[in-house]
Amino acid sequence: MTAADLTVTRPAGPRASGASRDPALRVTVAVLWALLALFVLYPLVSLLARVAMDGGRLSPGAALGVLADPNQLRALGNSLLLAALVGVAGTVLGFLFALTASRAGFGRGWLALLDAVTLLPLISPPFTTAIAMIFSFGPRGLITYQLLGLKGVTVYGLGSTFFSETLTYFPIAYLTLRPVLAAIDANVEDMALSLGASRLQVFRSVTLPLAIPGLANAFLLLFAASLADFATPLILAGNSFPVLPTQAYLQITGLFDLRGGAILSFALLVPAFAVFLLQRYWVSRRYYVTVTGKAGARTAVKTVAPWLRPLLLALCLAVTAVIAYFYALLFYASVVVALGANHAWTWRHYHVIFTEGAKAIRDTLVIAGLSMPLGGLYGVVLGYLIARKRFVGRQAMEVVSMLNYALPGTIVGIAYLIAFNDPPLALTGGALIIVACYVFRYSPTGIRATVAQLQQIDPALEEASLGLGASTTVTFRRVTLPLITPAFFAGLGVVFIRSMTAISATIFLVSINWTLITVRILENMTELSLGPAAAFSVLVVAIVYVVIAAIGRLLRVLRAPGAVSLGGILGG
Amino acid sequence: MEAAPAAGVRVEGVSKRFQHRVKGDLWAVREVSLAVHPGELLTLLGPSGCGKTTTLRMIAGFEEPDAGRIWIGDRDVTGLMANRRDIGFVFQNYALFPHLTVFDNVAYGLRIRGVEGGELARRVGEVLGMVGLARYERQQPHQLSGGEQQRVALARAIVIRPRVLLFDEPLSNLDARLRVQMRDEIRRLQKGLAITTVYVTHDQEEAMAVSDRIAVMSAGEVVQEGTAEDLYHRPASEFVAQFIGRVNLVAGRVVDAAGATVTVDAAGVRLRAFHTSPLRAGEAVRLAIRPEAIALAPDDPGAEGEVVGTIVTRTFLGEKVDYTVRAGAQSFLVTRYNPGPGAVLEEGQRVRLGLSSDAVQILPLEG
Repeated sequence: MTAADLTVTRPAGPRASGASRDPALRVTVAVLWALLALFVLYPLVSLLARVAMDGGRLSPGAALGVLADPNQLRALGNSLLLAALVGVAGTVLGFLFALTASRAGFGRGWLALLDAVTLLPLISPPFTTAIAMIFSFGPRGLITYQLLGLKGVTVYGLGSTFFSETLTYFPIAYLTLRPVLAAIDANVEDMALSLGASRLQVFRSVTLPLAIPGLANAFLLLFAASLADFATPLILAGNSFPVLPTQAYLQITGLFDLRGGAILSFALLVPAFAVFLLQRYWVSRRYYVTVTGKAGARTAVKTVAPWLRPLLLALCLAVTAVIAYFYALLFYASVVVALGANHAWTWRHYHVIFTEGAKAIRDTLVIAGLSMPLGGLYGVVLGYLIARKRFVGRQAMEVVSMLNYALPGTIVGIAYLIAFNDPPLALTGGALIIVACYVFRYSPTGIRATVAQLQQIDPALEEASLGLGASTTVTFRRVTLPLITPAFFAGLGVVFIRSMTAISATIFLVSINWTLITVRILENMTELSLGPAAAFSVLVVAIVYVVIAAIGRLLRVLRAPGAVSLGGILGG
Repeated sequence: MEAAPAAGVRVEGVSKRFQHRVKGDLWAVREVSLAVHPGELLTLLGPSGCGKTTTLRMIAGFEEPDAGRIWIGDRDVTGLMANRRDIGFVFQNYALFPHLTVFDNVAYGLRIRGVEGGELARRVGEVLGMVGLARYERQQPHQLSGGEQQRVALARAIVIRPRVLLFDEPLSNLDARLRVQMRDEIRRLQKGLAITTVYVTHDQEEAMAVSDRIAVMSAGEVVQEGTAEDLYHRPASEFVAQFIGRVNLVAGRVVDAAGATVTVDAAGVRLRAFHTSPLRAGEAVRLAIRPEAIALAPDDPGAEGEVVGTIVTRTFLGEKVDYTVRAGAQSFLVTRYNPGPGAVLEEGQRVRLGLSSDAVQILPLEG
């Protein structure tokens, strides 16, 4: 879904052990490379080949021809415009939320409320807000039609798509910026005050410059998320505002033009890759380190003027109220006969999804249930190797493992479709291809959590175990493994959530045999059976909420450090 | 650099309460009154949690007192924010602006005051020269060592010629050798510029080295105020006696208070001390005896000293030797400086302790 803010892993120090005297390590590395080659590199190469080759001959000209089409150029321009708007608006909103949470001095109750509501868009299918927008402002919308009695209102276009995506993705900016603001030493702000600076001067000359890398990172995350989102524009953009991912999808599912779709998705690769590089090599090096290790006295933050605090809180509450309204509306739509026409109470839609839709629910749970342990294990093993072992191609492995995560889902989905359509690797139509897609696309969060956690653990702990006479295996089992268990569960949780909610890649991979709830929701929306779509959405949010609460509890029991909190991971 | 206009600081009956997560409502600072004279360096000394940093932060304007008033010069600053008080503050963790160069860090306060161009460069250059960082202008804070960061923090605080300079444990992040060097430099600069200064530390040696006067704090209150010599020779309480230097605390009972000195019986050992307050025979007292004020000699015929004991332990520390001497039921720590070869006594040896009435202080009874 998003290009990750890929933290540069610390190169393994001189203490990291090498592969030369560890055969188990060599085997593991070889297996991982084989898997990465098959499920990351091979599909991308297949996509490239399909784009560049025509009838067995190299002809990049044809690809350029598709891209030179004014309609497609317009779609590319629209995509970039939308992504830039969502990036700016979402970052501003996320910054205001983070400022309120870390600088306005409100009690935990308020912050818990903000956190609980802003979590909703993160754990729902990415087009949930778009559905609620239709319910609210569509031709039969609760507000436009029922409340205001407007007829012939058109909700479709740039404005609503922008609004919906901003609401959906700004929580990512909030979760990214909150630790950034919290990490700014309040003593530094006090210092500026004592040197005579006014509150505004402190904010402009100290707080804001220190937050710039975080702001850039949040912008890039949101830019990438919007660039890759095809479901929201599919529902809301309408004909007047085509965007690239939607065009690629329609090219393949509507016109059965796989190559055309591949070429269009490929056009997304350039901006997506630029974002990836900017994050990896520009943003991550510009975070200001705290200059001394020892923290000073805790101090109340004074940079937000007292009169501004209630304003900030009111703004955040207004935004959360909009989100809460949308989700309440979604629930309401799932329990009335037909929103906008007949508001009689009914369980009919739930009956529909548990009978006709039962297969989608079962399939989704089976696939999520399979992806979860596999993804968790893969994430921990790869993260452990990257953080603690030294072997040839370590950094290359890290970069390759991040690729499917950083690329827009449309590209990954189409690449899988092309790569696994023919023997000997004819996986399309099966569950395996969907599971593989989820594992290699959503485990990088687990990898990063493992790396982050291992970096906080002094290698001396492992050396102490070895020094006490424990073997390498015993040390791993008794010392390292318990220490990275929280990362394992966090990674597992993210894979499960994404397996329940993702759509952009897997919409190309579903079949008669294996389908997904998110795909059914989208089908319901296009067939205008809004009730079942709402009921499905409520079900997904409910399941994910239960699982995320369970894992959050587990992480607290395991006393995971902040870097491995589920919130931190969902932040991107 | 011309001297800042000297202004005193007055703290009158200042109190501050804190919500503690476990202990509930606590007095961090309780009815503290202080007077810092213009150009003087006053140190707030005390163990962690005694309220010294909170008091300093209230003078700076980072915390608001719940009661009491604070004056800088003849201005009541109690309700003013930190940016209106004209102070220089040096933080324990330096709080350098991590995104600014050394030059821009030091220039920050001057730019706020509208100083620009050549005047700015001249004043920053001058103060960086004073702290020995003349060539560091373009460096980033994270490129500096701890001692250099400390100097930048100091330069940044004094360049604005504040009316009051405030230090919050400025040396606690430095290693022992650098600490001694930096505290001498701070003292030299402070004296040279004659800036009224309040300095917070938990290190009694540091306090004695830099201060004109010291206010010892405990549990949110000032328990004694005076010069280093006052506190060392005439501690007003057991707490101060123990906090400033090392001390033998001995419980006893007055035997005879009639003469010029008081005679006290401490578990069978007779000690004499000068009167500090009217005492009667039979009264219980506490005595403070500095280990370095006790004379020590082998118990040879004709040796001086009124108390006989046995050396239990001996610790040779180069410039001095610490002995524990048991005399009756009483145990004394005795320190002898500059022990020449052969002058060190052995464990188990019988010795005589010389406790002149100068060496013994009668402490006021507490609570």
